Amino acid sequence: MQSFSNKPAQSIYSPRGCTLLHVEELTPQEKLFRFVLDDGSALGHQPGQFVQLSIAGLTEAPISIAGSPTRGPQFELAVRNVGTLTGALHQLQVGAKVGIRGPFGRPFDLAALQGKHLVLIAGGCGLAPLRSLIQYCEDRPQEFASVQIIYGARTSHCLLFKEELKAWQNSPHLSCCYTVDQAVPDCDHDTPYDGEQGLITDLFEHLFERCIFTAENSCAVIVGPPAMYRPVIEELRRYGFTAPRQIMLSLERKMRCGIGKCGHCTIEHLYCCTDGPVFWLEEVETLRGAL
Amino acid sequence: MLKQLTQQDLFELFDRLAEQYHLLMPTLLTDGSRELMPWPGSKAAAIDGIIPSMAGEPIQRKPTSHFFPQTDPLVFLKPDGTVSVPQPPDKPLALCGLNREDLAAVAFVDRFFSAEPADDVYLAKRSGALLIGLSGHCGDGSHGDHFLPLAQGLCDIELIAEEPNEEKKEQEKQWLAVVYNAVGEQWLSGFAAGSPQRLELLRHKSVTMGHQQQELLQQASRLLQADQVPDSFWQEISSRCIRCGGCNFVCPTCTCFCVQDRTTTAGTQRSRIWDSCQLDAFMREASGHNPLGTELLRTRRRIHHKLVDDPKRWGEISCVLCGRCDRACPTGIGMVAVCEELVRRFTS
Ligand SMILES: Cc1cc2nc3c(=O)[nH]c(=O)nc-3n(C[C@H](O)[C@H](O)[C@H](O)COP(=O)(O)OP(=O)(O)OC[C@H]3O[C@@H](n4cnc5c(N)ncnc54)[C@H](O)[C@@H]3O)c2cc1C
Ligand code: SF4
Ligand code: SF4
Ligand code: FES
Repeated sequence: MQSFSNKPAQSIYSPRGCTLLHVEELTPQEKLFRFVLDDGSALGHQPGQFVQLSIAGLTEAPISIAGSPTRGPQFELAVRNVGTLTGALHQLQVGAKVGIRGPFGRPFDLAALQGKHLVLIAGGCGLAPLRSLIQYCEDRPQEFASVQIIYGARTSHCLLFKEELKAWQNSPHLSCCYTVDQAVPDCDHDTPYDGEQGLITDLFEHLFERCIFTAENSCAVIVGPPAMYRPVIEELRRYGFTAPRQIMLSLERKMRCGIGKCGHCTIEHLYCCTDGPVFWLEEVETLRGAL
Repeated sequence: MLKQLTQQDLFELFDRLAEQYHLLMPTLLTDGSRELMPWPGSKAAAIDGIIPSMAGEPIQRKPTSHFFPQTDPLVFLKPDGTVSVPQPPDKPLALCGLNREDLAAVAFVDRFFSAEPADDVYLAKRSGALLIGLSGHCGDGSHGDHFLPLAQGLCDIELIAEEPNEEKKEQEKQWLAVVYNAVGEQWLSGFAAGSPQRLELLRHKSVTMGHQQQELLQQASRLLQADQVPDSFWQEISSRCIRCGGCNFVCPTCTCFCVQDRTTTAGTQRSRIWDSCQLDAFMREASGHNPLGTELLRTRRRIHHKLVDDPKRWGEISCVLCGRCDRACPTGIGMVAVCEELVRRFTS
């Protein structure tokens, strides 16, 4: 496998070398990779940003940074094995070299979230980018009024960060509830799934019934598969999230360059890679094909 | 600065330019089409009969392809981990013979690739390059009277062919040269001064040229912005598209690309290659989600992007009316054809 230089980038297309430090299996399809830049520098990212991960011969793929910058110079990527590059990544052993460009993209607007009650909603793989924000909230609890995590996955097998979900549930600074569309018998472990079952939107009623905040002093952040956005937004609106700058979302598009040049990620006049991937709902809601 | 040049002066200028630049000149090919080709030198031109073909058919290859070629090396990844970038060209390019529309296209693409973060791969070829515009009495007849409208800027030097004199031979053809910046001045300072009155006459002649088509685009743009064009229209137009991508590949303001790696024992060459938004996989994500997943949406995007999205983002319509997509499209649904149909049907 190809390794990459750790010299300063010579071109906006030059990947920087980094080394794989740790791999953890999250589900049969997803692994968590921890990397460090070979020049020893911190990635310098903010929650919500992504990198272009590069493997020589297989081009690049945009991958969200799954950890908070408050956790030190190493950075984590949670990657689902769906194809050529992600497949090759899943084969890598600790010590392997890959390249990255970035961090890229507009991060979550932390300034706008400060002092608010946060409702952080993730579907499926969307928990990876949201985890960067969750960890940030965990490390800086004083900056937010409260933090409620809502997570939905297709099956109990697909739940990401199972241990952390439990830890977040028990954290004094966070609340966390999650559900699966379908509980399947756990074949690897003896412990059967004993959590909630149903759609992610089913969790809302339960949550808002016992909640201590009102929509006016809250902000919701949504990251999930395309089909999740509209039903979740509708539900949030029902609970009063109707003002501008109350719903923030992170969108996924095909991305080849990450820097506003290749044209693959456009949403009408916006470039998801540079204008996003994080948007306020009102910036994209009326754009065709955005949601 | 305004200069007056004979055909011989011009050839001398080209010879001098060719020492410092890779000078490309409109040249007649055996099939009757024209292409920007290396200037052979005035002596070779005389001996081989290779006469630069300053007048004639529009040049179909887009001028921006010289700075953003179909396959464009980005970085080379060596097995030892080092990354190298392409060597800059030994001499900068000088493109001669770009008409008003082509110059506008280069200006648009310059702006696009210079936006932060500036695209160093594009700028390595574009920086220091010389643009020589061409206008006046050297058209192919499609613009009426074989006259190309004056560019009035957007280049370093503009060569304007004066009205041919029936009695004079081709060799005695006269040119006005308008110089727009210091680089141009450096090359033309030795020549005789041109006549401002004659320039004014030529300018006057081109004032209204192309206005009708400009107005057509503006009208189409307004209708689209006002959401006056139903999906049924795009359905109909898209049913005529055979997804060849030709419209995008010939368009001088289209800049979309995909990325490809080719690996040999020496390492991996990562390059960008032109891509087309008219192809189904253009926006398809690994998950299968495809925001441009239908023929209708892709055809709509092709027109919308130039007439609605780019004006929103860059403040200008990004179709320069070069005519290439209308000439290239095998089924007759290039930009102007679509706009004509759209304006005819939806203007109340
Ligand atoms: C901002 C952003 C953040 C992402 N974050 C994550 C993450 O944290 N974890 C994760 O597992 N996945 C993430 N993805 C999706 C991930 O980029 C794709 O799964 C990946 O590109 C698939 O590459 P592949 O070569 O393995 O798949 P293949 O199926 O082999 O890909 C086929 C081709 O399509 C291209 N392609 C397909 N989808 C995309 C895409 N969305 N962007 C660019 N190229 C694409 C591939 O590069 C390849 O050329 C993210 C995507 C975006 C846009
Ligand atoms: S006429 Fe066609 S090819 Fe030329 S700039 Fe407009 S859209 Fe592009
Ligand atoms: S050139 Fe014509 S047929 Fe080919 S993709 Fe473009 S619109 Fe479709
Ligand atoms: S990923 Fe290339 S323009 Fe956005």
